[in-house]
Amino acid sequence: MTATSGQRPGDQTRPSPTAPGGASANADLAVQIGLVARGDAAAFAAVFEQAGPAVFGIVLRVIRDPAQSEEVTQEVLLEVWRNASKFDAGRGSAMAWVMTLAHHRAVDRVRSVQKESERERRTASADIPYDDVIEAVESSLERERVRRCLASLTDLQRESVTLAYYSGYTYDQVAGLLGVPTGTIKTRMRDALIRLRDCLGVAV
Amino acid sequence: MKLGLGKRHTLPARDAHTLAGAYAMDAISEQDRVRFERHLAGCQECTQEIASLREATARLGAATAVPPPPGLKERVMAAAAVTRQQPPAAAEPDIPARAGAVARTGAWLRSLAWPGRLAVAAAAAAAVAVLAIAVVFGVSNGGIRQQLSQAQASSQQIATVLTAKDARMVTGPVVGGGTATIVMSHTQHALVFTAAGLHTLPDSHGYELWLIGPAGTRPVGMLPPGSHGMTGPVIASGLRQGDHLALTAEPAGGTTQPTEPMMLDVAL
Repeated sequence: MTATSGQRPGDQTRPSPTAPGGASANADLAVQIGLVARGDAAAFAAVFEQAGPAVFGIVLRVIRDPAQSEEVTQEVLLEVWRNASKFDAGRGSAMAWVMTLAHHRAVDRVRSVQKESERERRTASADIPYDDVIEAVESSLERERVRRCLASLTDLQRESVTLAYYSGYTYDQVAGLLGVPTGTIKTRMRDALIRLRDCLGVAV
Repeated sequence: MKLGLGKRHTLPARDAHTLAGAYAMDAISEQDRVRFERHLAGCQECTQEIASLREATARLGAATAVPPPPGLKERVMAAAAVTRQQPPAAAEPDIPARAGAVARTGAWLRSLAWPGRLAVAAAAAAAVAVLAIAVVFGVSNGGIRQQLSQAQASSQQIATVLTAKDARMVTGPVVGGGTATIVMSHTQHALVFTAAGLHTLPDSHGYELWLIGPAGTRPVGMLPPGSHGMTGPVIASGLRQGDHLALTAEPAGGTTQPTEPMMLDVAL
């Protein structure tokens, strides 16, 4: 199986991205993943519609290269297909499950490429302005909420999170980039996520 | 449950849980990951904290959503159609216990968090295995089944259909139980058929595929017996405009015309 990146004229199924954070959207995604575990292709199509834009978005954000991002997105969705039976709604939301897979794979791809082009990576954009990140947000409501919550962080917390999550750096790379001790960065990352979690009203 | 930021832990690596944020963002080295997961296995609070932090990172990720490129959905669906799914984990006790129930949670997190290259390799191997057992059906001359010597050609043919620019997928319920998934390409004059959950037939009978259209009713061949609820993938060539794909349960040797009611009828 190979992913080709050809354009497809007959494609009319471009999903309109939905606000991904909603509890009911998450519940629906969980139901669909439950059906996917039983081999339900229609449910898998629904999962793609719901989660595909978010998966492609974060993968693209981390990897940057559209062709590679498309490949990795396909890997992520296939992993959802293969491992749907492993999803347990009692342990977190369906979107968190899918996005964890997506982010992990994106980072994995970046780090394996990184070994080949260490220098290039080191000089790569060390400061992606978070406004740039936020520009891509699809739902204005969700965009506002995430923007507001990111803005509520200290500068160091925000930079730690954006460099780690959106750029795929390890905490010691982030520490190097920001010229801050690694212990401090580890702490800031955790503090930042706790604040974001509380600010976003995430329920677990 | 939230942890106080300065909370002390009497765990082997006392500072390990300050890694929670970095871990939740995949921002750690392999060494640190191993170390942190050792800590996680014995720290239920940490496990819960990681789950909650991942809800937050998921929101950060979802905030970057953009429409996937055209055609990606079809390619993903087509790839899924020929990818075997993992069975559910056995209920109990399935994980070598490190710390009882907590270890289970940790294991779940690990399986969730770090599928890594191993999983990529496994996926690729699974896909190859699925393709390797694919059976080619002759179409034009009485539905003579060609066997495993054709496996290589078959996987090539399947790949050709799946990656064709005009590849389209349809699914349909099978009368009596099960779902059929078909990926077709009219430019390749071929389709890939898979089914899940088909009712098991007695040995005297088998499922037979048909192409029915302006060019007449042509037997495609007998489906190989299902395994673990999955049948196929098989490839059928000779697809023409206006064809329908049909499925019937026929005597084991197959017939030249359908003699039993259609269990599936999909316009292609």
